[in-house]
Amino acid sequence: MAEMWITMGPQHPMTHGLWTMRVKVDGETITDTEAELGYIHRGVEKICESRDFTQITPYCDRLCYVSAMTWAHSYVMAAEDLLEAEVPERAEYIRLMAAEIQRLASHLMWLGAFGPDIGNLTLMTWCLRDREMFLDLLQELGGSRMHYNFPRVGGVKRDIPIGWADRMRAKVKLFEHRIDEYEMLLDESTIWLVRLQGVGYATAEDQLNAGVTGPNIRAAGVNTDARWTNPYSVYDQVDWEPAVEKPTSVKGADCYDRYRVRMEEMRQSCRMLLDAIEKIPGGSNTHYQPGDEMILTKAPTRAPEGATGFSTYECTRGVSQFYLKGGGDSRGKNPYRMSIRSPIFITIPYVAKSMIGYKIADIPAIMGSFDPCIGESDR
Amino acid sequence: MGITITKEQNAKAASTIAAAISKRFSDGGINAESVSHSNDKKLDFVRITCEPNQWRAVAKWLAHEGGVGHCSMVTGTHFPDGPAERGWEVVVHLMKWPIVNVAAHSMIVHDPSKFKTEEVPMEFEVVIPIAAGDSPSIPTVQDIWVGADWNEKETWDLVGIDFEGHVNMHRVLNPHDSPVGFHPLQRQHKIRYHDFNEMYDDPQGFGRKPVDEGRVK
Repeated sequence: MAEMWITMGPQHPMTHGLWTMRVKVDGETITDTEAELGYIHRGVEKICESRDFTQITPYCDRLCYVSAMTWAHSYVMAAEDLLEAEVPERAEYIRLMAAEIQRLASHLMWLGAFGPDIGNLTLMTWCLRDREMFLDLLQELGGSRMHYNFPRVGGVKRDIPIGWADRMRAKVKLFEHRIDEYEMLLDESTIWLVRLQGVGYATAEDQLNAGVTGPNIRAAGVNTDARWTNPYSVYDQVDWEPAVEKPTSVKGADCYDRYRVRMEEMRQSCRMLLDAIEKIPGGSNTHYQPGDEMILTKAPTRAPEGATGFSTYECTRGVSQFYLKGGGDSRGKNPYRMSIRSPIFITIPYVAKSMIGYKIADIPAIMGSFDPCIGESDR
Repeated sequence: MGITITKEQNAKAASTIAAAISKRFSDGGINAESVSHSNDKKLDFVRITCEPNQWRAVAKWLAHEGGVGHCSMVTGTHFPDGPAERGWEVVVHLMKWPIVNVAAHSMIVHDPSKFKTEEVPMEFEVVIPIAAGDSPSIPTVQDIWVGADWNEKETWDLVGIDFEGHVNMHRVLNPHDSPVGFHPLQRQHKIRYHDFNEMYDDPQGFGRKPVDEGRVK
């Protein structure tokens, strides 16, 4: 049969955002693919060269619209490295909890969007229902439901409110049961299994070489996680272990393994949250005023020329990195250069190429299982 | 308790790798050192400084002998006011992780407390200064790490640094019909909103003078 090119996107439901995948097909079989990004490139790196270090945090929130807290956290870590700022222990615990709640919300958004891809619309309503609980918790911290602007260079904007700890415990304990419910719904659904098992194989070494990180690589049977390989915050003090899945084939992890590893990762986030709230220095039912030295230390505002700051961070979709150079405009108040590593920017071309050999009908399952987010990849 | 890499493990591994690189490339004048972050909780990393023509040799050694399997980030920077030997700069971030393929229905759960020195995960920062000029370029490492492919495309697209030997170089973030030679992260391009330079160039906003005008903190 003659081969032909089909253009999927930029407004195809499979894309989970604005990008185009051109697929060359021979009958139903994919023989070649090309990915095209850049539809929502906003030039964040350029804009940040004319902003001071505090003003950059809201831009980093907007890098990813479902995982704002982790991106802002990743940025402030690089800025603290550049400006040589110290972070109080209590602020580290608050940041850790905020990041893990965001991870739950982000994975729920992923599962909710992945369900309709596979033909399970119920899942979307269930996941968005549970995500509300975590957005409410984050709203209490940052004052907003989507872009929190919560981490600060040297600490956090606000302490946890009185009663937040109890609400968080209740919601997390409820959600632990909900994860079991999801698994009962999905793991025995024939449609779910037939569409996910045996498609989208990716081995650990291939993914490592191609730059794929995070849950996608842990699904292939290795417990590599930047939270322990490049330790930051207080992850060494709370109770958790990296989620890892046994791949079902020598060909690596399939879509089902990638779904399983994210479910396990949500359980680990719950475990971390329940432990961190017990261990937080200063007590979980205390509220320090904004700017108190328990939650925020005064950080320098200028970085000299030649100084560099760097952070490696386990974001919800993989490893995000920020690289900052000091000595920019306004006598060092702005960075000279800010560079962002987006995990999905590198993952999308790999996934597009890994689809070769599968059928057209497998594309939504494979693409969705890697959890693409175009906001961060286009920057 | 969560697992973690200890400071001692990391410091020992970083100095061992830096010494091995310095020994291998001592005649080429390549400098490798173990660098600490300002925050002493963060782990040390290895910084390598080399010339553009040495970069491929270093990259091959790191990939094949050093166990570095992951190219995570490529950053290009334009220094129009810099010295003649550093008008541009490329910084490549690499990662060494203990990742191997596993058999079906099995997994590897690393216990970092049992790591030998050569198994400890490590970050690398390779700094490559490029001479000032209109056509900066360094050799590509696309064939060594697949992950470098789109990172290099992005660096060329945004900063305009060319990667010699890169196959299928094209715009990835800017539109495909962007003018030839337009690379927005070069310093001669200023952000402006129509003709209102102040609005975006003045961080205090709308032409007001900064409160600390004339004072140097």
